[in-house]
Amino acid sequence: MNDPLFSQLSTLGSSIVLLFGIILLWRKSLHAYIDAFRWQSVVLSVMLLITGTFSNDHELYAVALFLFILKAVVIPHYLERMEKRFGDHRELQPYVNVASSLILSGMLVLLAYVITRPLVLISDLPTRSGIPLAMGLIFVGLFVLVTRKKAISQIVGFLVMENGIALLALLGTYGTPIIVELGVFLDVLLGFLVMQVFVYHIQTTFESIEVDQMNELKH
Amino acid sequence: MNAYLLEIGQALLALLLAPGLVGFVRWLKARLQNRRGAPVWLPYFELRKLFGKEVVMSNNASWLFRVAPYIVFTSALAVTFLIPLLAAPLPFDNVGDLLVVVYLLLLGTFFLALAGLDPGTAFGGMGSSREMTVAALSEPTIALAIFGLALGAGSTNLGRIVTATLANPGVAISPGHLMAFAALFIVSLAETGRLPVDNPSTHLELTMIHEAMILEYSGRYLALIEWASWLKLVIFFTLLANLFIPWGLAATLTPVALAVAVLTLILKLVLLGLIVAVVETRIAKLRLFRVPELLGMSFVLALLAVTSSFLLK
Repeated sequence: MNDPLFSQLSTLGSSIVLLFGIILLWRKSLHAYIDAFRWQSVVLSVMLLITGTFSNDHELYAVALFLFILKAVVIPHYLERMEKRFGDHRELQPYVNVASSLILSGMLVLLAYVITRPLVLISDLPTRSGIPLAMGLIFVGLFVLVTRKKAISQIVGFLVMENGIALLALLGTYGTPIIVELGVFLDVLLGFLVMQVFVYHIQTTFESIEVDQMNELKH
Repeated sequence: MNAYLLEIGQALLALLLAPGLVGFVRWLKARLQNRRGAPVWLPYFELRKLFGKEVVMSNNASWLFRVAPYIVFTSALAVTFLIPLLAAPLPFDNVGDLLVVVYLLLLGTFFLALAGLDPGTAFGGMGSSREMTVAALSEPTIALAIFGLALGAGSTNLGRIVTATLANPGVAISPGHLMAFAALFIVSLAETGRLPVDNPSTHLELTMIHEAMILEYSGRYLALIEWASWLKLVIFFTLLANLFIPWGLAATLTPVALAVAVLTLILKLVLLGLIVAVVETRIAKLRLFRVPELLGMSFVLALLAVTSSFLLK
């Protein structure tokens, strides 16, 4: 169980998952956002498989399969359909510009290291060095959620944050029981559907999916 | 004594390989774009031609303009003595560590930018200001990326970093190493004026950076500057290849080990050249205003590399 290879692989996987979150901040087109999210989910399900193999927990294979189908196939597919329908393909002016958001995301990951340091110090899990990265990913997802204007990029930010929580659960507990995971997936799917309905309504009301427009409601 | 001969040998090797490497990348790019391409050894003839030509200088140019090419060239040459090109612990390791390497490279860039400003032409000033923007953003990343390695090895000494990685091969696939590699790769493209940042194969294009600065140079001065910039490509490729994948470097100074080292070095340079040629064929030049974003990305990578190797320690 305390295999150095497993520890090495899980740290590597968590870094790649985090990197896809940061790539999100660098890109501008919504298509690239969706792609980054898709690949992030693929890497996350591979990590579930690896953890399942090393901890001999075969339930994790089923969880990996569900995660792959939901987050790497179904949700990106619907996101792409939404993106095609609205035809406004770029996140042109986020609230924080790209260069500053990159630096800030670096700072957020540093913050995650500081926050999780006590946890990592007392833990003897082989996966402990990935925990700050997962925490960092949650922060980065939240950052995308609050600084991007397009509704679709905000949804992707939410989903990335969800991926971060899933990664943290995986690293901290080697996967929760399958019934809990299924509940979580159902929640994500439902949340996604509700958000999709919202986006369609925003589009029909304002003829744009920039949430900035909603300020008009105040007047 | 032998060790000092090795130092001189490796500097000479870098000098000789530099034009060939550039020629190889150009040829490969041409082949990838369905052109026949100039022969690989063309840059050697280019150098010979330039050294034979007379120097034409603007009346406004000062002594700085004459001195700059020599400073640019010697600073690049000095770096080749300090980096692990063929063997791992070098006698000159005590002379300079990674900070000296980074700032020697920057010294050359600084004087080149001054020389671009000196004759007072529009293009030169434009090129210098752009080059300084890129250099100011990329230089902390280089230092930080190599610091990521230095933290793992416990020393800023390049030779010590290499031996530490050789002693503990698992480190090579640690996330710190991989992120530092990616960061240094992006910065190498920026510093050597390769594609997403600057296009090396155009002359007289409004967005040029390196070419704009050296537009006023001719004859042997131009030859020295070109040679120095090609040398910089070899230096960055060697840093990428030998700091991150140090296998093949000679640990002892036997002829067999050195021959293996030369061959693996050439192989690694060819591989990196292949990667760069493919990258340059695949992507278009970034708009100048997006360059800081790319370099910001590489800075974040380097920062994460340092944090993760600091935490794993």
